Amino acid sequence: MKKAIALILTALLTASVCTGCGSSATASTGSTASTAGSVAASAAPSKKVSLNVVTSYGADDGNRKNFEAAYTSWQEKTGNEVKDTSGDGSEDWKVKVMNSFEVGSEPDVLFFWNGADANKLVKNQKVVSIDEIRKEYPDYASNMKEDMLGASPVDNKNYSVPVNGYWESMFVNTKVLSDSGVTVPDSGYTYDQFLKDCAAVKAKGFTPIAVSLHEVPNYWFEFLSYNYSSAATFNKTPETTTDEAGKAWISGLTDLKDLYARGFLPVNTNSTTDADTNNLMSQNKAAFMIDGSWKVGWFEENMKEDMDGDGKADIENIAVTFPPVKGDTRKSTDYIGGISMGYYITTKAWNDPDKRAACVDFISHMTADDVVSKFCSAGSVSALKNGVTAQSDSSSLVKKVNEMNKEVTGISPAVEDLMDNKSVRTPFFADVKNMVVGKVDITKSVASVIDAQKKFLAQTTNAAS
Amino acid sequence: MSSNAMIYKKKKPLLLFLLPPFLFMAIFLYYPFVQNVLNSFLNITELGSKSNGINTPYYENYEKLFHDPLMGVALRNTMLMILLTIVFQVGIALLLALLVDNIKKGSHFFRTAYFFPIVISATALGLMFNLIFMYQGGMINQLLQSIGLQSTATPIDWKDEARALVTMFIPVCWQYVGFYFVILVTGLNNISQELYEAAEIDGATRIQRVHFITLPMLHNTICVCLTLAITGALKVFDLPWVMFPSGMPMDVTWLTGTYMYQQAWKLGDVDYSATIAIIIVLLGVVLSQIANRIFKEKEY
Repeated sequence: MKKAIALILTALLTASVCTGCGSSATASTGSTASTAGSVAASAAPSKKVSLNVVTSYGADDGNRKNFEAAYTSWQEKTGNEVKDTSGDGSEDWKVKVMNSFEVGSEPDVLFFWNGADANKLVKNQKVVSIDEIRKEYPDYASNMKEDMLGASPVDNKNYSVPVNGYWESMFVNTKVLSDSGVTVPDSGYTYDQFLKDCAAVKAKGFTPIAVSLHEVPNYWFEFLSYNYSSAATFNKTPETTTDEAGKAWISGLTDLKDLYARGFLPVNTNSTTDADTNNLMSQNKAAFMIDGSWKVGWFEENMKEDMDGDGKADIENIAVTFPPVKGDTRKSTDYIGGISMGYYITTKAWNDPDKRAACVDFISHMTADDVVSKFCSAGSVSALKNGVTAQSDSSSLVKKVNEMNKEVTGISPAVEDLMDNKSVRTPFFADVKNMVVGKVDITKSVASVIDAQKKFLAQTTNAAS
Repeated sequence: MSSNAMIYKKKKPLLLFLLPPFLFMAIFLYYPFVQNVLNSFLNITELGSKSNGINTPYYENYEKLFHDPLMGVALRNTMLMILLTIVFQVGIALLLALLVDNIKKGSHFFRTAYFFPIVISATALGLMFNLIFMYQGGMINQLLQSIGLQSTATPIDWKDEARALVTMFIPVCWQYVGFYFVILVTGLNNISQELYEAAEIDGATRIQRVHFITLPMLHNTICVCLTLAITGALKVFDLPWVMFPSGMPMDVTWLTGTYMYQQAWKLGDVDYSATIAIIIVLLGVVLSQIANRIFKEKEY
């Protein structure tokens, strides 16, 4: 009897060890054709499902509320559930998303970049192309302009459905400028004037530029390099340190080093976070900040009160204008922007007969004309064939953004989106702090990033064929 | 012979009970470790993906360890962390344990109070200490400003290059004092009261009792604490990462654990990360062996 009990216990223990070793059928990333025949060709999901959705509309993203409202209405309409694990769209978040695919825990629906960041997803067939989806759902993304969907650099096919585009420009704290005796800049703002204004702001005890070089040196790198290029030529990575792009990058980084040397960046720019430097702007302690359209919502949320006691909401102190232009290679009214992200259906979800239709229906709902119009309320562009419908309840900052956007003469996508996140961009931007303090030679660092990018491109482009 | 006695004679049933845990260890510890050793010789650029072949030369990563300045920083900081862990974590825990052992009222309160940081997640502690050491409006800077020791215009950056290591080590050391405190208090409880009573009759003072009875009797427990402290310091990751992500500032706060994570998860250099992991294991084995030899366990 005791032997039998001992054997049963041993068998139970062994079985418990082995429970973690089973494979999941849904984890398969095999051919999409294998299950295609078993799925009904209807966008209306037949069974209540739970979708794992990951987007960059998490944290303090300006469209967080719009995103929540949109997916909540889809839940109510369909009875399905959305498990939202969205993040902040930062470099760390990108790494986490890519890692989830590498370890087989990817979401069902992903809102992610459509440039080089997604090369590995496309190359490794982790996401489904729109052509493939349209074989079963011909109307999928039919409300979008085809040439604005954002084709993958790997095979020039469309994989994602965009929502709102983005722009990057310069936010200005008008109260700090006023207290420093500086005029609020407008289009035509020159770099020389910017340096004078920074000096005046610093002399009054404020921080001229709110930036964490440890976390987000990218926006300043983009614009300072853009000053040596143009809207037509900026969006390409250098082949050598002496070609046009190479020289632009080196000159831009040299200007950033100069701004650091002049003491125009926060004292703790190399030991602080983006969140802390954002607060410098909202607390009327810094004058200039380069960031993107997603930051509008952050200002609206964090500066809606009258904390400085001047009788109006603090957000009235924030304006937006074009970053200062140096030389004449780009116009002062050119900025960085475009449509760089969209909704993907992962191969894992597509291969799941229960989730396929739900994913298509969810993305169709999230990219419908009325939903996209709300997401574009901060002056973002869209890929809608019918264009966006203007929102009537815009904040003062959004109105200023709309005024700025009327003057735009040229738009270039962000050049950082051409770089691989792990092997190129992360080490490159991590080195910016070393460049500005003189620990690392700027030209050598740019040469290293060129080599890394070439290696990455050799590994990923045209590899899907 | 009764059947009860037979169960101790026959060893096979015992082996059957030992087998499942061994299988568990083999699958989830020994196999990954062996695979990790193999990975350190391969070229792997993505987690979970196949390797792109063997490195050229195969020991490339081990060579890289010696030329990588940031690995040097990580090793230096980790050694410093081990030293500080021994001195402050185990040292303070020992002091507190001796003090608590000598009071009659409130010992339960102090035991709970000192153990409490252990039950709080390291991430929460990291966020809390971020607020304490914050540059603009942080608790310490506000305190210094309120008592006139600091101007509001020139707060101290507790996370700058000069102060970052101290700012990182303080919470890490503080966090685990309670852990060693509990182990040492348990050790103190095992010392027979008769020894103290005999010493008291012989006229020994409190300090003499600690010196000649408590510390020698606690020797083996302290030895265990030191081994745990050394291996724990080699693996520390969460709290430093929350406070000083990616070696912030200026790459001065790398530890072997955080640097290994950076290589695998943020830079995609999986094979190099595997090599760092092996170094961590080797250091753990070697240093704990050295500690064991220095503080050799004694029979009483």
